[in-house]
Amino acid sequence: MEGKSEPNIVVRMMRLWGIAAWMDLLWVTKDLKQFVFYFGAEALLSVAAMSTTLLLAARFNGIGAWSTDQVVFMLAYSTAVMGAMETFFNFNVLEISRRIGRGQLDHVLVQPRPLWVAILTEGFCPFSGSGSLLIGLGLLAWSTSRIGIAVTTGWIALLLVSLAASCAVVLAFSYLWGSLAFWSPRGAEEVCSSSNVMLSALRPFPLDGLGPVLLGGMLTFAPIGFVGWLPARGLLGMGPSWQSAATPLAALLFGIVASFIFRKGLREYGRTGSQRYLSHGHRR
Amino acid sequence: MGAPAPSATSAMDIVVELTGVCKTFRQRQRSEKLGDTLRNLIRPRFREVRALDHVDLTIRRGEIVAYAGPNGAGKSTTVKLLSSLLAPDSGTVRALGMDPVRDRARYVGRIGVLFGQRTELWWDHPVSASFEWKRVVWDIPRDRYDRALPRIREMLGLDAFFNSMARELSLGQRMRADLGMALIHEPEILFLDEPTIGLDVLAKRAMLQFIRELHDEQGLTVMLTSHDMDELEQLAGRIVLLANGRIAFDGDWTTLRREYADRRHLTLETPNARAPEFANATLVRTDGGRHEYVFDAGRVDIPALLAEAARQTEILDVETHRAPIDEVIAGIYEKLQYSSPGTSEFSPATA
Repeated sequence: MEGKSEPNIVVRMMRLWGIAAWMDLLWVTKDLKQFVFYFGAEALLSVAAMSTTLLLAARFNGIGAWSTDQVVFMLAYSTAVMGAMETFFNFNVLEISRRIGRGQLDHVLVQPRPLWVAILTEGFCPFSGSGSLLIGLGLLAWSTSRIGIAVTTGWIALLLVSLAASCAVVLAFSYLWGSLAFWSPRGAEEVCSSSNVMLSALRPFPLDGLGPVLLGGMLTFAPIGFVGWLPARGLLGMGPSWQSAATPLAALLFGIVASFIFRKGLREYGRTGSQRYLSHGHRR
Repeated sequence: MGAPAPSATSAMDIVVELTGVCKTFRQRQRSEKLGDTLRNLIRPRFREVRALDHVDLTIRRGEIVAYAGPNGAGKSTTVKLLSSLLAPDSGTVRALGMDPVRDRARYVGRIGVLFGQRTELWWDHPVSASFEWKRVVWDIPRDRYDRALPRIREMLGLDAFFNSMARELSLGQRMRADLGMALIHEPEILFLDEPTIGLDVLAKRAMLQFIRELHDEQGLTVMLTSHDMDELEQLAGRIVLLANGRIAFDGDWTTLRREYADRRHLTLETPNARAPEFANATLVRTDGGRHEYVFDAGRVDIPALLAEAARQTEILDVETHRAPIDEVIAGIYEKLQYSSPGTSEFSPATA
């Protein structure tokens, strides 16, 4: 822009999060009925998602080496992770295959901001998407106090790093699958929602006792272990200390692979263009 | 606007430059038969469609360029190349001294794009919210936004529905709001891909008038595609005709008419129903004593034609007028579509 210096990227991202939050607030307050029912349904879904494992843990006084409170901690952790995804990557940013498949990536590409900035800021929905995050964080605080963990600055830092790393794994996993839509926009349009449903459905279960092949699969091809189980073990001090570093490392590796595939897909998009919208507007 | 990047093209005031640009798409081919369907699962067949075939084009700052051609000629592909949405297979695309794909984030902040079939408005929000969103995402300085918005609201008549939900707008209202969105950051070039499609006559006229005023006042460079030739002729001083992915004509409207066909209509009124016959004018309609002909004014001498008519019968009245530009273009399309089948999208090629 003429006569104006480029703002610092952090300031710019804060502004973009701000406008996304404002648009979200406008949406949830469109009418009172929508406001009440939306939040009611969100809360109900978050509780329902945890109920099976919670009831099992309560009935048998824990699951394997995990006490009931530790199970609640793990559930709370994974709920906070998925809640953070809904809060920060809503609006089909997490379900990127839908955007690619439906040709909506074009709308992002005509905006004057780097794609990674758009991905990190465009889906921020703190009002409509934060129900699970708030419930997860509340349960985390409650279970932490019941377990009697020494909450030090270092532990809080580890918690925040682990949460961010788990979110990065979920995002990278979704983009890995979602990139398929660059090559098959119609066939892979819903692949992200399927991969995310799988992570959501399996995240409440502790993976202790699984054989090495199955466990390896749960940490690579379907990285469910990084959404709750492994970081919770690290935070609860269960097992060797390297576990605490495993999730950030996995986030880095998944991020590199996802970024590589996504960029390759973007080049294909530049070659073929949006395949679902033709120039005269019909969807294929 | 950001300071223009130093380059040879910007120094010459050329804001758009396409050099030898080619773009080919593949279309899957198969019939409805089961055997063909199964074969295609293993060995899919494709046909190559050459959307752009070595296109060279330059646009200078402040020009309004009509970019026309029959369906599938490559118009939208060109607009997408210039909007950072597509990369060329070969050749170079430069605009405002930048590569639209490589410099995307910086470049799109200085252009405006409007696709007639798409909307940039937030569907479940009032129009005003979309404008505010754009202000932040495009990082438009507040003072400039506050200066531009009232003018755009007034000129495009947005006030009546500025606080209405985008999903509840009529097509005409939606297009006006979208045009306002495309202009609120004061772009240097405006790309319009069929911006008036589906609009009624009044909405169309208002939109064209607004673009014309903006061009006259601010020197905005505009490139627009449309199938409505009258509309293009009203707005643009230069027409680029695309056919089969190639530029078939690039010049002004007078030259276009002269080069291709200065088609005229002649209407004669005679006391009887028998129409005079001419070797160099074609009778297209006859109704009682009223006979209408078309002829090429570049090759036919009008006084001689009238003298010949007077020799054959008594003439009560004479009218002559230029053929509408749509008719001229239709004739040109017919010629172009079938004159170079080797470069046509109709030529099959398998991959």
